Amino acid sequence: MGTAMTDLQAPAPPIRDESSEQPSTSGRRPAAARRRARGESLAGYLFMSPWIAGFVLLTAGPMLASLYLAFTDYNLFDTPQWVGLDNFTELFGDPRWQKSVEVTTSYVVVGTPLKLAAALGVALLLTKKRRGQGFYRAAFYAPSLVGASVSIAIVWRALFSDDAIVDRTQKIFGVDVGGWIGDPDMVIYALVALTVWQFGAPMVIFLAGLKQVPRELYEAAEVDGAGAWRRFRSITLPMISPVLFFNLLLETIHSFQIFASAYVVTNSKCGPADAGLVYTCYLYEQGWTNLRMGYASAMAWMLLITVGLVTAVLFWSQRRWVHYEEDAR
Amino acid sequence: MRSWRSAQGLRAAGVSMAVLGLMASGCGGDGGGAGAGGKVEIRYSWWGGQERAEMINKTIALFEKKNPGIEVKTDFQDYENFWKKFNTQASAGNAPDVFQNSVAFLRKYDDKRVLLDLNAQVKAGNLSMENFRAGLEKAGDVQGKLLGVPVGGNTFALVYNPAEYKKVGVTPAEGWTWDQYNAAIEKISDGGKLAGDSGHGGIMYLYDLVLRQQDKAFFTEDGLGFTEADLKDWWTKHHDQTKAGLYTDPKKAEQAKPTSALSKDLSAGEFTWDNFLVRYTSETKVPLALAPVPTTDGKRTGQYISSLMLSGSARTKHPKEVAQFIDFMVHDPEVGKIMGYDRGVLATNEQFEAYEPVGVSAQIAEYEKKVADNVEPITPHPAGADIAEAAFLRIATDVVMGTTSVDDGVKQFFSEAKTALGS
Repeated sequence: MGTAMTDLQAPAPPIRDESSEQPSTSGRRPAAARRRARGESLAGYLFMSPWIAGFVLLTAGPMLASLYLAFTDYNLFDTPQWVGLDNFTELFGDPRWQKSVEVTTSYVVVGTPLKLAAALGVALLLTKKRRGQGFYRAAFYAPSLVGASVSIAIVWRALFSDDAIVDRTQKIFGVDVGGWIGDPDMVIYALVALTVWQFGAPMVIFLAGLKQVPRELYEAAEVDGAGAWRRFRSITLPMISPVLFFNLLLETIHSFQIFASAYVVTNSKCGPADAGLVYTCYLYEQGWTNLRMGYASAMAWMLLITVGLVTAVLFWSQRRWVHYEEDAR
Repeated sequence: MRSWRSAQGLRAAGVSMAVLGLMASGCGGDGGGAGAGGKVEIRYSWWGGQERAEMINKTIALFEKKNPGIEVKTDFQDYENFWKKFNTQASAGNAPDVFQNSVAFLRKYDDKRVLLDLNAQVKAGNLSMENFRAGLEKAGDVQGKLLGVPVGGNTFALVYNPAEYKKVGVTPAEGWTWDQYNAAIEKISDGGKLAGDSGHGGIMYLYDLVLRQQDKAFFTEDGLGFTEADLKDWWTKHHDQTKAGLYTDPKKAEQAKPTSALSKDLSAGEFTWDNFLVRYTSETKVPLALAPVPTTDGKRTGQYISSLMLSGSARTKHPKEVAQFIDFMVHDPEVGKIMGYDRGVLATNEQFEAYEPVGVSAQIAEYEKKVADNVEPITPHPAGADIAEAAFLRIATDVVMGTTSVDDGVKQFFSEAKTALGS
C-alpha cells in the first residue's frame, strides 16, 4: 500500500519498514563508480548541512544545555548553581505543577480522541465522489493551516467570552453557564474545541488511508449482507489502522505540547484559577516570569520523558490493534 | 533515477547552499551603537497601550529634533509581556538603553546588576534631579544608588460611578471608613444590576494600604509584613462578600479583561491607581470620579505616591546620552504637555506647570492635591515582589472562584511568596 501514498509521505510504512529493503552497497565496484558515489554522498551532506547545522545549534545544543540546567538553580543572570535532583523533588511537591499535569492530561485525553474522531468522520464523508469535493477538502483543511496562529486564538477568546456568540447561542437553548473563558470548569473545553476544530491535517492523512482500502472487500462484504456499520468496523477500521496509529501518535505528542492557544485564549494568565494551566504554560511562567530556568528545564525534561513513555506505550499497544498488510501475507 | 543527477551539478548546488546558509546565519549581527550617519543610537522601551505609544513617539520626535546627534529606537508591549521580553534581553546583556520601570522592580534588577546608577550622570551635569514635586526625586533611590527617575506620580484611589453612589445616598469623602464603604456597596448591589465593587481581594496595593492603616505593610525590605492570620481575615471577608454578590461575578470580571469590570459597566467602583481614570473613562461613556481609599480609624489612609520611572541599562554604551534623554523626558515642558497624566501626575514642576489639566486630568490633579497632605513614605519592595504580587492576585482569584479554600490559598500564597522573596 505504500507506493500510491508517497505523495502524502505515507505515514505507516516508514514506521515499520525501517530500511531493511535497501540493497547492500558493500559489494566491489569499479573505482570510478566509487568516486561518483562518494561525490554524491558529499553532495547529499552538503544539501543536508543547513538542516544539520540547525539541528546541532538550535536543537541538540539547547537540549544538552537544558539537561544540565535541570540540575541547577539558574535565574538567567547569575551563573547556574548545581543543586542535584532538587528541582525534580520540588516538582512533585508543587501543587501548581500537579495542577498543570492534571490540566494537560485532561486536554490530551479528551481532545485527541475527539479530534481524531472528527478527522475520520469528515474524511469518511469526503471520500465519496461528489461535486465540489476539492473545495470541501480544502475548506475543512483550512483551519489547521491558520489554526496555530495567535489571531485565531484571539478570535476564539472572543467567541467563547461572556455574552459572546457561544454564550448567546447556549442561552437560546436554555443553557446558561456564561462565557467559557472565565469559568474554571469550562475553559479547558474551549481549548479542546479549538484543537478539535483543527482536524484538517489528520483528516488529509485519513483520506489517503481510506483510498487505499480495496473496493473488493466492501463489495464482498455487501454480497455477504454486511451493513454500513459492520463494513466500517470490520473492513475500514482494520485497514486504516496503521494510519489511525500514525495520527494518534502525532496528535497525542502534539497535544502534550499545547501552548500558544492556551496562552492567548486565557489572556496570558492560563487561568482563571489555573484552570487553563497547561504544562508548557506553567513551564513558561517559571522560566520567563519567575526566572527559574533550572526548574523550567527540569519540567521540560519531565515532559519529554512523559511523551516518550506515552509513545512507547502506544507502540507497544499497536500489536494488539494495528493491522499491517504484510502480516497477513 | 533521472539523467540530471550529475554529481558535479549537485556538488555545486550543495556548496552554494551551504555558503548561503552560513552567510544568512553570520550576517545577522547587530551594529549595536552608531546609527545611520554617525548618530548615537539608543533603544527605549516601555509597557502600555497604543495611545501611550503615540504620545511617546511624539515626545521622541521632539527629542530627536532638539538632539540631532541622537537617534531613539522604540519598542513597547503590554505589561506582562514587557517583562518577559525584558528578562530575555537583559539576561543576554542586551537590555534596552532606557526603559520604563517601577518601584516593584528596582531591587530585583539592582540585585541582578541590570540597572545603571545615574548618580555619576547627575554629577556630570547630564541629568538634573532638581525641581521634582513632593519628594519624588527619592522614588528611584535604593541605598544611595539612583536607579530610576520618576516621570509621574500616582496615588491609589477608588474610581467610582458617582451616579450609582448618589442613588444610594453616599458621598465618598476624606476620612470615610471601611464600614461606610461596605454599607454603600451593599446597597448598590442590592438595588441595581451593578455590583458595588469589581472585587479587590487580589489587589496587592490596596491590601498594602489596609495593612498600613494597621501599622503593618505588605512588604518589608526583605519579606512579607503581615501574617497568615491577617490574610485569612482579608480573603475570608472577600470570599463571603463575593458570594453575597457585593462584587462583580469573578467569571465575568475575568472575561472582561483587559478592560476593567468598572468600565465594562459590571460594577460601580474599583480600587486602582488614580491615573487609570484616563484609561477607564476612554473605555466607557459612564462618567467616573475619584475618591480616597476608605480608612480603618477615620483618619489614616496609608497612602503614598508611587511612580513610573525611567531607568538606564547598566550595560549601555551611551550613559551620557541615556542621561540626556531621561533629563529631557522628565523636565521638558513640551513633553509634559504631550504626555499629560497618562503615567501619573507629572513629576517635575516644569512639566506640572506647563500642562493645563482639563477634563479627566483635572479630576486627577484635584484628587492628588487633596491627598497630597496625607501621603506617607513608600515602602521599598524587596526583590521578587513582582512575583509575590502576581501570586497574590492569582490565588485570590482561585479563592473567590471557589477552586481553593481560604485556608489552602493562604498557605499556598505564603509558600510561593517565600520562594519568590527568598526569605
